[in-house]
Formats: sequence, structure tokens, C-alpha cells
Amino acid sequence: METNNIFSFRRFILLSKQSLIINKKLIGITIAGFSGLVFLFLMLIHIKNYVNWDNDNYMITFLVMFFLGGSIYSSLSYPAFRTKEKSISYLLLPASTAEKYVFEFLSRIVLFILLMPFVFWVIANIEGSVMHYYKPDFINYRFSLSKALSSVVYKRGNSGWMNFLIFQGWLFVFIAAFTGASHFSKSPLVKTLFTLSIIALGYALYTYLLVKGMNVSGYALENKRILFIHNRNEAMAFISIAITIVNLCLLTIAYFRLKEREV
Amino acid sequence: MIQIKDLDFAYPRQQSLFKNLSMQLEPGSITGLLGKNGAGKTSLLKLLAGLLYPQSGEINVLDHNPGKRQVSFLSNVFLVPEEFSFPPISIHEFINANAPFYPRFDVGLMSNTLVEFDLNTDSNLSRLSHGQKKKFLIAFALATRCSLLVLDEPTNGLDIPSKLLFRRILAGSLNNDQLVIISTHQVKDVENLIDKILILDNGKVIFMKTILEISQKVSFISGSSVDTAKAIYSEPVPGGYRMMMPNGHNETEVDIELLFNAITKGKKID
Repeated sequence: METNNIFSFRRFILLSKQSLIINKKLIGITIAGFSGLVFLFLMLIHIKNYVNWDNDNYMITFLVMFFLGGSIYSSLSYPAFRTKEKSISYLLLPASTAEKYVFEFLSRIVLFILLMPFVFWVIANIEGSVMHYYKPDFINYRFSLSKALSSVVYKRGNSGWMNFLIFQGWLFVFIAAFTGASHFSKSPLVKTLFTLSIIALGYALYTYLLVKGMNVSGYALENKRILFIHNRNEAMAFISIAITIVNLCLLTIAYFRLKEREV
Repeated sequence: MIQIKDLDFAYPRQQSLFKNLSMQLEPGSITGLLGKNGAGKTSLLKLLAGLLYPQSGEINVLDHNPGKRQVSFLSNVFLVPEEFSFPPISIHEFINANAPFYPRFDVGLMSNTLVEFDLNTDSNLSRLSHGQKKKFLIAFALATRCSLLVLDEPTNGLDIPSKLLFRRILAGSLNNDQLVIISTHQVKDVENLIDKILILDNGKVIFMKTILEISQKVSFISGSSVDTAKAIYSEPVPGGYRMMMPNGHNETEVDIELLFNAITKGKKID
């Protein structure tokens, strides 16, 4: 019988089923723990400040939790790589690298992006209703995610490129944590942050030396000398595309770390 | 089934473990992989399973390069490592989650082996003892009906009745198209089970013969004194000596421990 060694949808379903059987308790505990955390956090804020609370405040809380939660959750990708014993079982499981990779990406990044706003929305509204019951003058207790998102996307007059940049920036945070988890066995988030800090510092130092040491700033380049960036929108486009390329590179690294992993 | 040619392998920043290692193994055998500590037994098993990559040379297992870890290879190879970990789920759930990945998985054999090993399918794997976990993993490995079964120290942690059961179940549940490689220090545990012996030393295969070939060439006897003129190798044991002698006419049971000691001390039986 010929075996599809690249990607089989049947095996992908088996992999998902296997993960669900093994992690069902953990998934339940994680969602319950996250919900409890959101509930307590919002309650602590609302006990002190609810009079001036509005949808934008909810949105800020949501964004903070989205980034923090997403970074931590993505950094827990490839849980089998945390120990040698689990790595052996995982790598020898008869599923292709592509299947394992796609499953990990979907379950750690895509699922979080889709599920987290919904969980936050439900818990925020439950907490708001509870607080409103005890403090009836808490008026803006309902959280509208669509209203909050549209205030970010439309009301501030963001261009399409700006929105794309925000989206790619979000993804970068999650994808960096995801790639770090594929590379580092122990404390992947800390090591990823450390690595990114070193890269950023190195780049900053290089730029500083270029500008100060070689007096590049003294050349006073005219706008027209920069061939393809003529306005703010094009600058956004340039940065967005650059981050997209970085994200794609990081995803490629994560794939090959999985494919070529040794135990 | 397994062809290794001129294999070189070293761990990063360490001395070379294998240098020009070559060997060939065919199906229908239970091969005992023996060697001193650090001889590279586990590393060789990992290379065969595709968990390590050689620096140079060729490894061909079931017509695959193990390092590529293709599904057609992985679904036909099962490694029972010395140390392992299970998720906190029941035996029944583990089988449901993992068995579908192995196309030849034998549910009947799995059930029978679990009964023989006295394991309940409702038991949670995290609450089993190390020995019980090992018995379960061996049962699962056998039920996959993989062409290549690689067992690293399978009897470590098993009690005496379980070791006997392990030998009986393994011998009784294999097909002629399967190859089992057992790496072990506990040579007594695999006596009467293995039909081929492979000894690794200093990164090379220094000995590879079937039990039949060995018993045709040498015999293993006990005596109160050593026949220095004839004995190829001898060791003091309580009450006398164990000796490896050139075979006269009578074939004796192969004393794997004595054979191993003789071979690693440079004795030849050709």
C-alpha cells in the first residue's frame, strides 16, 4: 500500500484526535484558569474604578491579555520537546513533519487568535453583569468586541497597510514565541526573549555606530534619494512587508527545527 | 532489512563513537545487541530509528533513510526506549489515541498481552509503576506488528515473573518478516530468546553470529579446574570454573555472559 509521506488529512485528524484525548483535561484547566484570571483581574479593576469605565478600557485590557496570553501560550508549543522521553515518542509517531507542524501552528496560534477573544468577551460580560448587579451605577458594563475592534481599525483613520502592520506585529510576537519553542527545550519563552533582545541590541548598536561613528546622518539624504518610500503609507507598507518576511522566515526555521530535530 | 555502511558518528564536541561501522541484519531474527557501557548501543538504536543523524556513511532501514522520518518508515518501526513517559490517560485511551497510526495494529494481540501482563485497560498510565508501564509499552510495541522492533533494555524494571513472561510473549508473537533488536546488559534475561548476537566495542561490530553458529563452534562447560590447554576462555565461578571450549561433538547452551566477556577480551571463536 502506497503511503502519503507528505500530508494526509486522515492522519491529521488522527493527530488532532490524539492530542484531544491526551490533553483534554489540560485544555479544560487552561480555559478555566484563563477565564478565572480574566474574571478576577477585571473585578479587581472594577472594584476600584467603574465610573469612568468604557469599551475602550475593556479593549486595552483585552489587548494586554491577548499579547501576554498569546506569547505564553505560543511559547508552550511543541510540549514534547521539553523532555527527552516525550521527544522520542513525538518524533517517532507515524505522522509527517508537515502534519505535526500544521497541527502545532493551528492549535497554538490560529486557535488562540480565534478562541481567546470569544472567551474574553464571554467572561468580561459575565463579570460586568455581576458587578452591575452589585453596583448599579456601573453603566458601561457591557463589552462589545466588534465595537472595540472597529474603533481601532476605522475610527483612527488607519490605512490598510497600517492595519496589516498591526496584524503582522501581533503575529510576529506569537510566531517568535512559537519558533523559540521549537528551538529551545527548556524555558523557551525566556530564552526567546533573551535572543530577540540580543538581536535588537545588536541592531541598535550597529545603527548607532553607523550614524555616529561614520557620521552617516551628516549626509542629509533627500527624500527623493530613497527610491521607494515617498510617504507615511509607503513606509507602513515597507515595514509591513519586512515583518511579513521575518514572520515567514521564523515559520520556516520552526519547520526545519522540527524536521531535523535529534534526541 | 538493515544495511549500515561506513557509518561515522560523534556527539557534538565529543570523540567519535562510530568509525566506519558496517553491518547488515535480515528479518526473522531476535538479535541481542551487547556492549560495554558507552559502547554506543543506545546511540546505534537511535540512529536506526532516525533520532540521530550520522556525520557520514549510509543507513538503510526497510529501504528508507531513517533520518528522513517518513511516515512509511515510522509506521513500520517501533522503539521501546529505556526511559519513557506516558500522558496521564488510561491504557484504553492511549490505545485509542495511538493504535490508528499503525496500519497492522493487532487489537487481539494487545488484549491478550495485557491480560498476560495483568494490566487493566481502565488503569491510568500515570499511576502505574515503572515495571507496569514498561510491560504496557512492550505489549503496545508487539501489537503494532512493526517490521522492526527496537527494544532498549526491555527487562530493566521488570520483576522475575514478568521477565519470564516477556520472553514467552516475545517469542510467541513474532512473524518471520519481523526483526527485533534487543539492547541489554542483562544477558541472562535474553538467554533462550535471542538467536543472533551482535557485540559492539570501540565503535565497531566486533562479533556477529547466530546462536547456532556459536554452539557449533564452541561449547560452554563447568569444571573444578581449568583445562588451560584447550579452554579458549575461562572465568572463576563459585565451586570452580566456567569455560568456553572449542566444540568437540556435543552442543551446549550458549553462555552469553561468558561469550561476551571472552569476545570483549579479544578471544576469537572462528
